[in-house]
Amino acid sequence: MDNTILKVKDLKVHFFTRHGVVKAVDGDSFDMRRGESLCLVGESGCGKTTVALSVLRLLDSPPGKIMGGEILYGGDDLLKCPDDRLRQIRGNKIAMIFQDPQSSLNPVFTVGDQIAEQLKLHLKLGHREAMEKSLRLMEQVGIPRAAERINDYPHQFSGGMRQRVMIAAALSCNPEILIADEPTTALDTTVKAQIMDIFRDLKREKNMSILFITHDMGTVAGFADRIVVMYGGRIVETGSALDIFDHPTHPYTRGLLNCLPSVSAIRDRLTPIPGAIPSLINPPKGCVFDPRCECRLPLCATVRPEEVVASGDHTVACHQCAPSVVGEGHKPS
Amino acid sequence: MLTKIGNKVGGLRNLLFLCALMLLALVLVLDIYAVDRILEPLGYFYIVFALLAIFYGIYPLYLSRRLTRYYWDRTKRHRLAVFGLVFIFFLVAVAIAGPFLTQDPTKVRFQEKNVPPVGFSITQSVYDVKTDTFSTVHIPGTWRHALGTDDKGRDMLAMLVSGARVSLQVGLLATLIAILIGTVLGVLSAYLGGWVDNALMRFTDVMMTFPFFLLLVFIIFIFGPSLTFVILAIGLTGWTGTARLVRSEALSLRTREFVMASRSLGASDSRIVFRHLIPNVLSSVIVITTLSIPGVILAESALSFIGLGDPTVTSWGVVLNAGQRTLDTAWWVAVEPGVMLFLTVLAFNFLGDGIRDAFDPRSQV
Repeated sequence: MDNTILKVKDLKVHFFTRHGVVKAVDGDSFDMRRGESLCLVGESGCGKTTVALSVLRLLDSPPGKIMGGEILYGGDDLLKCPDDRLRQIRGNKIAMIFQDPQSSLNPVFTVGDQIAEQLKLHLKLGHREAMEKSLRLMEQVGIPRAAERINDYPHQFSGGMRQRVMIAAALSCNPEILIADEPTTALDTTVKAQIMDIFRDLKREKNMSILFITHDMGTVAGFADRIVVMYGGRIVETGSALDIFDHPTHPYTRGLLNCLPSVSAIRDRLTPIPGAIPSLINPPKGCVFDPRCECRLPLCATVRPEEVVASGDHTVACHQCAPSVVGEGHKPS
Repeated sequence: MLTKIGNKVGGLRNLLFLCALMLLALVLVLDIYAVDRILEPLGYFYIVFALLAIFYGIYPLYLSRRLTRYYWDRTKRHRLAVFGLVFIFFLVAVAIAGPFLTQDPTKVRFQEKNVPPVGFSITQSVYDVKTDTFSTVHIPGTWRHALGTDDKGRDMLAMLVSGARVSLQVGLLATLIAILIGTVLGVLSAYLGGWVDNALMRFTDVMMTFPFFLLLVFIIFIFGPSLTFVILAIGLTGWTGTARLVRSEALSLRTREFVMASRSLGASDSRIVFRHLIPNVLSSVIVITTLSIPGVILAESALSFIGLGDPTVTSWGVVLNAGQRTLDTAWWVAVEPGVMLFLTVLAFNFLGDGIRDAFDPRSQV
């Protein structure tokens, strides 16, 4: 699999809080392939953002600490490489977009300045060249009248336009990987669709690899090549978009999909997953989803399920699917 | 080529500023070895101050005229702030041009002592040597000494003008030193966190609990009462409040997403401090600057009042001190510098209030 561009191996991230150690990410592994859009899905607090921040080692430490694992990009382990090397990768090779466009731009500089900053830093462009390139980037992400607006300040932009500026800044050095941490959550639906179009174009035209983080299965459906479903700091299911949407195997994934409103199905109520996510200070001993699972086995409470291959590269961490259990005829319907 | 180097230090403007500073340093080196002084020690402070004001004050204000207009309109709504600004401009003009127009503030004329200001007159008993008698003399104010003279016949107007110069020098320069130290320490403390933060803040606490005036007296006792040391002493002790305030602001800025975003795009620590933290705390720094100038001016006056100021310069504190000895015969000697001090302090306070309101987003209507 030479196509792999980013490899996360057995990542463990803990937060040391006053109440105890929060195991926010507990031994997760996944690969990202060149030119694919990989969606990291899960509800709030399941560790999606922590994974994303760990890739660029952006976690605030303390309280966060990466306890183990590897994140391989090119020839480097991003978790261990020296700070200078990491700074060259950040923004230049791997760029990141954040959730809240209100606060991710510096209020005291013009947007043009902020896009140009990366160009000056990584590509060593002069001020004039950098500003010209910024202008082109602003046009590329669909900011109307970019030439007039390049010297405006962030507060003069709407939320959607600000997110476009953020995307332009992230794209400025033509990174290989774009990490987008819930980039559409703070936007309204029409703007969201426009922003998703930009991501789609990027993937198609620049063959950019995009790690897209969201809690919204609806957004994922039209965009993802592959999906990683996280729950309680662990990856519970990984597979192509088709695998996940057509053959959801883990009970949690099925629960998530049941929460989606559907046009075709005649249903007057959405089915929520009962219960709430467990405290990650004292996670359940076995499967993290066990307390909320509809089809748990006695084994689930005590033994942590290993990842098993369901089909092709569709993997699931669930005892129901483990060969020993399946053999006994407990295969979930 | 020039822009390439400029990029390294964060812009052409910084580069030019650094060049100017280096030039100044060169002059300083020459000054140390040269026989004749090129510049007074205080001259260096002024030039640094002027450079800072031009590069980081006037030029950016000119660049973003729209914002300048906006904040000026908001400040203008505060009537008293405008009064303050006008008074400060008047004071600056007097301090710069006045000494060339008035008489020598140190010239003693005993035959003209205790002349009241124009429009006032006093009766005084004068001892006549020839007849060995006391006679009562009626002394009217004259235009020659519009604000009167003190008990040594020195011209009050000249002394007040000289005092204005001293007060502004000390007020601006000492505040500048204090604010620079406070801002840098505050931002560093907040950004680095951990034991650095702890060490710096405990040091600030110690500085704060130390009796400020005693420390000043100490420094001046050790280094001698020259105006330069008075400025340094006030500047080096007055940064604590600024450091704390800037730290608290920077602490909240540090966790804002744009800092994380900038880091995710490859910015280094120094870039984050200079481009993201410092520019964002500047609005509060400007407000504390204007609000702390009056305190500094009062501190200088207090020092010279108790006789710890520079004995070679005539500051308002010195005149006040002279005046309080003759309060019963020549009230104006004490009242005039007092009024000036009062008005100056008030003007800076009003201006500070106006600027604070202009910068406060909550007062946005």
